[in-house]
Amino acid sequence: MADVQKTRAITAYVYRSGKAALEEYQIESEYPMSVMSLLTRLHETDPTLACRTSMCFHGTCGSCLVNVDGRDVKGCTVLVNPGETVSLRPHSKYKVLQDLVVDFRQPLAAEN
Amino acid sequence: MDKCDTTDVLVIGMGASGARAALAAAQAGSRVIVTNKGPAGRSGITLTAGGGTQAPFHPEDSPEQYYEDTVAYGYQLADRNLAWALARDSCDRIHDMEGYGVRFRKNEDGSYLLSRFPGHTYPRNISFHGGGIGMLGPLKNSCLKHPNISMLDDFLVTGLVTGADKSVCGAVGWNLKTGELTCLQASATILATGGCQQLWAVTDCPADSTGDGLALAYRAGARLVDMEMILFYPSVIVWPPAAKGAFVHYEFLAADRLDGDILDAAGRAVLPKNPIPVRDEAMRLMNRAIEEGRGGSHGGLFWYVGDSPKGSEFVAQQLDNQQYRYLQKQGLDPVRDKIEVAPGAHYQLGGVHIDEQCRTSVAGLFCTPEAAGNYEGANRLSGSALGGTQVFGYLAGRSAHNWAAAHGDVRPDRASLEEEEARVLGCMTAEGAAPDMAPLKAELRRRAQDAVGVVRSEEKLTAFMAWLDGAEEELAVLRVPGQKFHQPLMELTELKSLVETARLVAGCARIRRESRGHHYREDYPLRDDSRWLRHTCVERQGGKAVFSTCPICMERRER
Repeated sequence: MADVQKTRAITAYVYRSGKAALEEYQIESEYPMSVMSLLTRLHETDPTLACRTSMCFHGTCGSCLVNVDGRDVKGCTVLVNPGETVSLRPHSKYKVLQDLVVDFRQPLAAEN
Repeated sequence: MDKCDTTDVLVIGMGASGARAALAAAQAGSRVIVTNKGPAGRSGITLTAGGGTQAPFHPEDSPEQYYEDTVAYGYQLADRNLAWALARDSCDRIHDMEGYGVRFRKNEDGSYLLSRFPGHTYPRNISFHGGGIGMLGPLKNSCLKHPNISMLDDFLVTGLVTGADKSVCGAVGWNLKTGELTCLQASATILATGGCQQLWAVTDCPADSTGDGLALAYRAGARLVDMEMILFYPSVIVWPPAAKGAFVHYEFLAADRLDGDILDAAGRAVLPKNPIPVRDEAMRLMNRAIEEGRGGSHGGLFWYVGDSPKGSEFVAQQLDNQQYRYLQKQGLDPVRDKIEVAPGAHYQLGGVHIDEQCRTSVAGLFCTPEAAGNYEGANRLSGSALGGTQVFGYLAGRSAHNWAAAHGDVRPDRASLEEEEARVLGCMTAEGAAPDMAPLKAELRRRAQDAVGVVRSEEKLTAFMAWLDGAEEELAVLRVPGQKFHQPLMELTELKSLVETARLVAGCARIRRESRGHHYREDYPLRDDSRWLRHTCVERQGGKAVFSTCPICMERRER
């Protein structure tokens, strides 16, 4: 772990339900960010971007379920490196409430 | 008001204690509505729990001994009736947990695997699989299955409503899924909303731990006690951002565990060894090192087990579990890296005053720990938090049921409903951008970390309270544009709760002119039993917070 690292841009294309389209965001970081911590940062700069912010810090609760580059994943354990670009959409298995926020009690398909 | 629902018992908050209260009330025969600010079972403080609880199962142990240990460890500030209820009922509530589907670690003969933690006379700590979700998941599923329980999650309670006699008759809230301002009329209301740890810049609790229930209780006129008593934890991670808020175990630094250190930026050990200091002492030493400028560039010190004499293979084995695997996924290597940490807010010891039926000082209003706060005093035994949620969740549910059965349907006063509706709609604006609340929130948290953190003083507390007045004025004029999933309304509400709670914490800290447990005053560094075997307390009178002290209930009614 180097003490001082150069910051590079992380580019995120994030789904906005109001526009039904992806919106581009950029932040500078010298350190890899989890998708969850990235969204926390983006939400601070744009409070209209709706996203889940509660975390369990264990990787178990599923509050962070999100679709990253086409895959449904837990956002808390997917890292984005400085210099990379990601595309964030709401998790595909639940009804969208707004932007990346889904209703976990309204699955789109029957769950096992 | 867009919608109105009626029920017997309203439970606000569906963490471990809210879920248990809902089940107790429902099983006794009440209709129950349980609300949760975030998604049920995927938010709140319970999920951060490690998986340990406690009860006097050991053959040489007894509720009496557990009671004695609880009172002693809490520095004598515990309400004796509540400490006894905890000791008396813990074993039964553990059996209930198993009945709901929580899986405990057991010995080959089927008895609970017990470990001994600091402060316990006998091994009393029991662990279950899965951490917080291993407990909350089964409780949530039991609530979903019960025909008497309706669950409203993604529901932001904004205020309590009262009858003409000022008793609580339910609550008003914003349904984040539908955008409906909703009145939930209830004969009995239970606050199960957890603590206010987000107030501090460094905390291992999630973003939704904003003390909303404390603000609700305070505004309804309830008494809160010992709000200065916050359990801090020494090694909460502050960097990198992906890991911020997780923690590494301070206890693992002990010579008989991993034999590591807390280092300053120059690589010097900050703490003595053999033994490592008790937590509150350790944090004062860490705090001093940080204030002296010996910390890292992100305000912390460095937890390090990388040069342990026990070797990295042994260390890696000990750290092979869910919590540390999660840290690895954030890009950290706890076995080898220096991890930047600082003392963080971990648990709320004080809170709303309750009796052994979980009644607050306001009729119709009940409360459970962590929001309730007169049984743990100035420190608590490790593992007691989860045990408390089940003991008091059950008692609150039963009491609320009995109250509802005795009082029948209640009607909120029209004036109270209209006032609450106006208060919520008055925050909204038809157009315009959502205000940027992040800078004010960050400043609040930074100031709280300094003024009501590990080291307090009259000067810092007074300055902080003066600043809070300005912050409150600033928040009063903010308006949020209307939308269905109203995250801006939620964040404005949360920030107001934090400012309100901050005043309660600071005011109580200023009253207690002594040091005891996790409350340390550098201007009054000694413990003073001649004056301070009392609760600090605060109530809203004439629209203002009035601080004083009140007696601790010393007489156990049951033997």
